[in-house]
Amino acid sequence: MGETTRAQGAVPPRGGAAEAAGRALAGAAPDGGAAVRPGTPADAVGGVRPAYVAAPADPAAAAAVLAVAAEHALTVVPRGNGTKIDWGGPPRDCDLVLETTSLTGIEHAVGDLVVRAGAGVPVADLQAALGSAGQRLAVDTVVPGSTVGGMVATGLSGPRRILHGPVRDLVIGMTVLRADGVAARSGGAVVKNVAGYDLGKLHTGAYGTLGVIVSVTFRLHPVPPALRLLRAAAPGPEALREWAAAVLHSPTAPSAVELDWPPEGDPELAVLLEGAAAGLDARGAAVAAVLPEPPHHADALPPGWGELPGAPGDTLLRVVAPPPEAVRAAAVLRDAGRARGILAAVRGSLGTGVLHAAVPADAPPEAVAAVVAAARAALAGAPGGAVTVPHAAPPVRAAGLDLWGEVPGAALMRAIKDRFDPGHRLSPGRLMEGI
Amino acid sequence: MPVPVGPEALVPRLRAICGDAGVLTDPAQRRTYESDGLTYHAELPGVVVLPTSTAQVAAVVRLCAEEGVPFVPRGAGTGLSAGALPRSDGVLVVTSRMRRILEVDVEARCAVVQPGVANLDVTRAAAPHGYYYAPDPSSQQVCSVGGNIAENSGGAHCLKYGFTVNHVLGLEIVTPAGDVVRLGGKVAEAPGYDLIGAFIGSEGTLGIATEITVRLLRAPERVRTLLAAFPTMDAGGRAVSAVIAAGVLPAAIEMMDALAIEAAEAAVACHYPKGAGAVLIVELDGPAADVDAQFAAVTALCREAGATELRTATDAAERARIWKGRKSAFAAVGRISPSYIVQDGVVPRTALPEVLRRIADLSAESGIRVANVFHAGDGNLHPLVLFDDAEPGAAERAAEVSGAILDLCVEHGGSITGEHGVGVDKACHMPDMFSPADLATMDLFRRAIDPAGIANPEKLLPTPRLCGEPPGVRTDVHPLVASGEAELF
Amino acid sequence: MPGTTPPPQPPRPPAEGRGADPAAPATFEDLLSDCVHCGFCLPTCPTYVLWGEEMDSPRGRIHLMGQSRQDGVLTGTAVRHFDNCLGCLACVSACPSGVRYDALIETARADVEREHERPLGERLLRAAVFALFPYRGRLRLLRGPLRGYQASGLSRLLRRSGLLDRLPPSLAAMERLAPPLRPAPRLPERVRARGRRRATVGMLTGCVQGAFFPQVNTATARVLASDGCEVVIPRRQGCCGALSAHAGRAEEAARFARSTVAAFERAGVDVVVVNSAGCGSTMKHYADVLANAAGGDGWARRAERLGAKVRDVTEFLADLGPAAERHPLPIRAAYHDACHLSHGQGVREQPRDLLRAVPELELVDVANPDICCGSAGIYNLLRPEPAAELGRRKSADVRATGAPLLVAGNPGCALQIAAAMGADGEAPAVAHTVQVLDASIRGLPPAHLLGGRRGG
Ligand SMILES: Cc1cc2nc3c(=O)[nH]c(=O)nc-3n(C[C@H](O)[C@H](O)[C@H](O)COP(=O)(O)OP(=O)(O)OC[C@H]3O[C@@H](n4cnc5c(N)ncnc54)[C@H](O)[C@@H]3O)c2cc1C
Ligand code: SF4
Ligand code: SF4
Repeated sequence: MGETTRAQGAVPPRGGAAEAAGRALAGAAPDGGAAVRPGTPADAVGGVRPAYVAAPADPAAAAAVLAVAAEHALTVVPRGNGTKIDWGGPPRDCDLVLETTSLTGIEHAVGDLVVRAGAGVPVADLQAALGSAGQRLAVDTVVPGSTVGGMVATGLSGPRRILHGPVRDLVIGMTVLRADGVAARSGGAVVKNVAGYDLGKLHTGAYGTLGVIVSVTFRLHPVPPALRLLRAAAPGPEALREWAAAVLHSPTAPSAVELDWPPEGDPELAVLLEGAAAGLDARGAAVAAVLPEPPHHADALPPGWGELPGAPGDTLLRVVAPPPEAVRAAAVLRDAGRARGILAAVRGSLGTGVLHAAVPADAPPEAVAAVVAAARAALAGAPGGAVTVPHAAPPVRAAGLDLWGEVPGAALMRAIKDRFDPGHRLSPGRLMEGI
Repeated sequence: MPVPVGPEALVPRLRAICGDAGVLTDPAQRRTYESDGLTYHAELPGVVVLPTSTAQVAAVVRLCAEEGVPFVPRGAGTGLSAGALPRSDGVLVVTSRMRRILEVDVEARCAVVQPGVANLDVTRAAAPHGYYYAPDPSSQQVCSVGGNIAENSGGAHCLKYGFTVNHVLGLEIVTPAGDVVRLGGKVAEAPGYDLIGAFIGSEGTLGIATEITVRLLRAPERVRTLLAAFPTMDAGGRAVSAVIAAGVLPAAIEMMDALAIEAAEAAVACHYPKGAGAVLIVELDGPAADVDAQFAAVTALCREAGATELRTATDAAERARIWKGRKSAFAAVGRISPSYIVQDGVVPRTALPEVLRRIADLSAESGIRVANVFHAGDGNLHPLVLFDDAEPGAAERAAEVSGAILDLCVEHGGSITGEHGVGVDKACHMPDMFSPADLATMDLFRRAIDPAGIANPEKLLPTPRLCGEPPGVRTDVHPLVASGEAELF
Repeated sequence: MPGTTPPPQPPRPPAEGRGADPAAPATFEDLLSDCVHCGFCLPTCPTYVLWGEEMDSPRGRIHLMGQSRQDGVLTGTAVRHFDNCLGCLACVSACPSGVRYDALIETARADVEREHERPLGERLLRAAVFALFPYRGRLRLLRGPLRGYQASGLSRLLRRSGLLDRLPPSLAAMERLAPPLRPAPRLPERVRARGRRRATVGMLTGCVQGAFFPQVNTATARVLASDGCEVVIPRRQGCCGALSAHAGRAEEAARFARSTVAAFERAGVDVVVVNSAGCGSTMKHYADVLANAAGGDGWARRAERLGAKVRDVTEFLADLGPAAERHPLPIRAAYHDACHLSHGQGVREQPRDLLRAVPELELVDVANPDICCGSAGIYNLLRPEPAAELGRRKSADVRATGAPLLVAGNPGCALQIAAAMGADGEAPAVAHTVQVLDASIRGLPPAHLLGGRRGG
């Protein structure tokens, strides 16, 4: 286990105490409701190897495991398929990895366009089930292999969010296990509902720091009958910015307006139109009309559509900027990289102003820090602008890069953390300083 | 903890903050603020302040925090859950003088407004640029954006476009401690917990929104509105299901029953088809070709479901006329009944026919008329329970029917409120929908932001004083209710 | 009488379902309880627009009325907020519940007049206003470069009241903006129809209209005659009582109403055409005016009968349809909705239709059409500051249209706005709708309406 500091209140299980905790975990859920095994190096979370890994079979078993963890003051990191387990900050400590992959189950209320899915359901399985009824969860596959819980906990949204919003907008209800193992539900099973606080919003993108998501209820949309993807390479960022603005201002109602800027070469604009087949020609023509050259057309999405740029393991920067500033911020970021010999790939939604940039995993940490700093400086005056580092390659992480930067409302977030998890035992340190 | 003082003790300092004209102490003036749109909850506010800036709001709230005096935010006072019910021991902070539209940023497709700006004024400001603000509560010409934030208000067009929470990019809030915090900006998805999302719908219990950045949408290329008359509610309901099953996502599907039609007719002479048992308003918007294709499908589905008359709006004026009846329906019920209760509950769309039948039964059994106006697309019912308070016992029976309708909603897996919020009115119904643990967890959140409990206390979550018992432990009828000494609404 | 005029469309049908007998006249309490506190009336209320306070909104004022009834006390606070009301009736148009705010405020004001002792200064000012305005003869003395009032027996009261200090700005504005006062030809008692006679109508000449805007009356008579109406103008008509009624001076209003009813009964006409929005609005509700006064009885029926015959001139002309040819009038004109026409009588489209029918006239709308300009009868004399502020706002909206001519169905409004515009830039010319029609029918050039301004 790496160097760890403990949050106030939690007492580390050592020696006899650790064994006692292990025994208690194994007995937490009756009838083998929760398989418990010792952690291996492969279970490491951001370089921190857990003492135990528990895989509860159902929410009740998961609750029992968490209750035992609370009793023994264990630090806990929830994990789905582990596709993003090394995202965020490294946990200050991790006694137990709680695996959600057995928390499955899909309840699809077809006529209500609503589905409830267990946290461990792979998003791809969910989409397949929904697709058979002509419906979909309007998110793209940003990280293949993600589970529902992982997707929600990291708040990852893809290109199509301009029409139906990011993931958080599709969540209408959620059941979460608190740090003390108590199950708490918020929201509901109907799309329209304003009863009580919408705590699901807090858990979306919280990296498991406030609780363990066990199931999520989503609103769904019908799968549109047809789609068309138009792509055009722009001679430079400024032209691309103008094109995107023109497309967004047109009444063509695109489902996605994406930037795809490979490490070398010109940025490309991709516009996704979805809807009645009969209307696609006219809409496509309207999009083409605002572009200087005829775009490339396709009637299907290319493989890898919506996925993050770069290769697995790359350091990933997330740039959130008012849409008109997004391309400029991307350009600044790339220029800052190039000046230091780093070629960054950028992809993301120009409609919403959320982009990801991939910096090769082997880039020198100081150079990465300089790139991040340049991007942050570029967005300093932009209302809501932020540059975070959802994933830092190990050397970058080790160099102590500030992954989050200045986060507005951080004091309120800490206050929430303190109430929900007074012992700071849930994924401590994965999200910002003090959380 | 400071020893709480009476709000009157704050008056000189409040005057120093808001100026003499910004502090109301005259009882007659204060009394005009005694309730919001739900008048059967009323209380005389201790003091009323009318700040004009964020700095004033922050200073007022800080003063309240220092002195342990509760405060209640209020926008236009159109709320229907007594969320803005004042407190005699507190300060009512009214945003009606903070109504400037600070910026319309066409390129970033957003507008920055003060909280007192009326919802519709945002669209009015954006319209010349070809944009609009999507959430459109029926009260849109008057309700404030701040109030919309607090209630997470929705409207007819939320079926396709979502609620207030889906259209807010940035917030400036004054926390219950009096601190000014800016969240988000001209782009959503700020890092960390989604505080904006959690603040929206918090009914003024987490602080006061003092500046709001809302997303603007491009006006659709085509909008087509259809008015379909059906002989019965059942037939109308069948049409709704058929439309949804066909994979069409209209911008809005609204339904009104015969009684609601009668009221709207009396109020605004909307000339809906005579003798209809139900009318459906279906609006489609988007790219022209899509809308036309879907429109043909919807028209055919309505015919199949038994529509007796179909009318299509061909221009903005006709469209407005069709909507006028729907949008005025609530307030118009005053024309056909001396008093009424507007209920707001949600059921899964598929449960609509069943629940509507049960409501009709309830009405028949109790002799209390119920008019139905609702967002059929998302199962959001707005039964209007009509009664004459001059008739002895009628109010009580109406309240019973209204409560029974909520029970029906919960029983069918729905919600006790789809858009009007919990406020004081439904706080005691929260345990019907949420477990004690759910409620306790919500309270954790509230106390994280407002440890002193001074922000709109006793709203949203049940309290012993309000509901006669600790939150959530109600398993059957409360003894006081059983003995007839108290009533639950 | 040709069958051109449908029965009047009262903009406010009474609320039904009230208690046992829906036919029974609604009590003040009934009318109060019609308000469901929804707030839909707030955004169109000019004082709410100005101050953003509940008690200066219709909903708040209704609440204050309820408080007074409930407690049996009329507080000075309530009176102040009633006084702040412009009586523009925008709230009546906005209210989906059909609350008759017009009836409520008139009753509340009558209560105020009966029960509330005003401070001396206010009393004097009001006395002066009501000693002056309803009387055409006295008003006329004020015209011309303000010389006449010296000689008037009224001068002592006027001077003590301070009314004169308030008058000069508006009067000066009138002098500047109103077309020069030619010795207006006195209208004959009967004006013959041109061509085939299509209708015989009575015409109200009004007090303020008659004194300050005789040319509007002349134009009205000419247009009516051109379109085939025989116009009867009873000599013995005076003020219609609107100003008094709006101010809660119920007895005085009833007196004026009774003599107006009598004058038009004698004229034996089927329709009474009115060219001043405020007068028309009140005359259509003469039954209420007389019901509010003591000893109504027989008058109530007579008042009701006459009220049913009243039409705004544009309402009447639009129904009648044109007979005389409209000649081109290349002008860009902004149309302003006078409150008592749009809110008081629901007349919005007719004047616009009439103006649009004038060849080459480009009609533009003014933003925020529901908000009062602040003129509001005598409001600008009693509450000059808010009136001026509202005038400024309206003037900004009018200026934004860029139109050189402002048309309204009430000359007072047009003057108020033009005066406000003149205060910070060039003011447009102002005209009553019938003056535009008159110019078109007579084939006069735009300059006739515009003075030295360009046609835009
Ligand atoms: C006729 C009628 C029709 C309606 N139709 C709809 C509808 O279709 N959809 C719908 O959703 N609602 C509807 N409503 C309800 C109401 O209009 C909405 O809830 C609206 O959002 C309330 O806004 P308001 O400004 O009037 O808020 P208020 O009533 O003044 O306050 C509502 C709540 O918001 C809080 N609040 C106000 N301002 C702030 C602020 N700046 N910061 C924090 N908290 C604040 C208050 O404390 C209170 O809890 C309707 C109401 C009426 C009377
Ligand atoms: S009459 Fe005009 S000023 Fe008076 S309350 Fe109504 S809208 Fe406001
Ligand atoms: S609109 Fe009508 S019912 Fe609503 S508050 Fe105003 S007067 Fe009352």
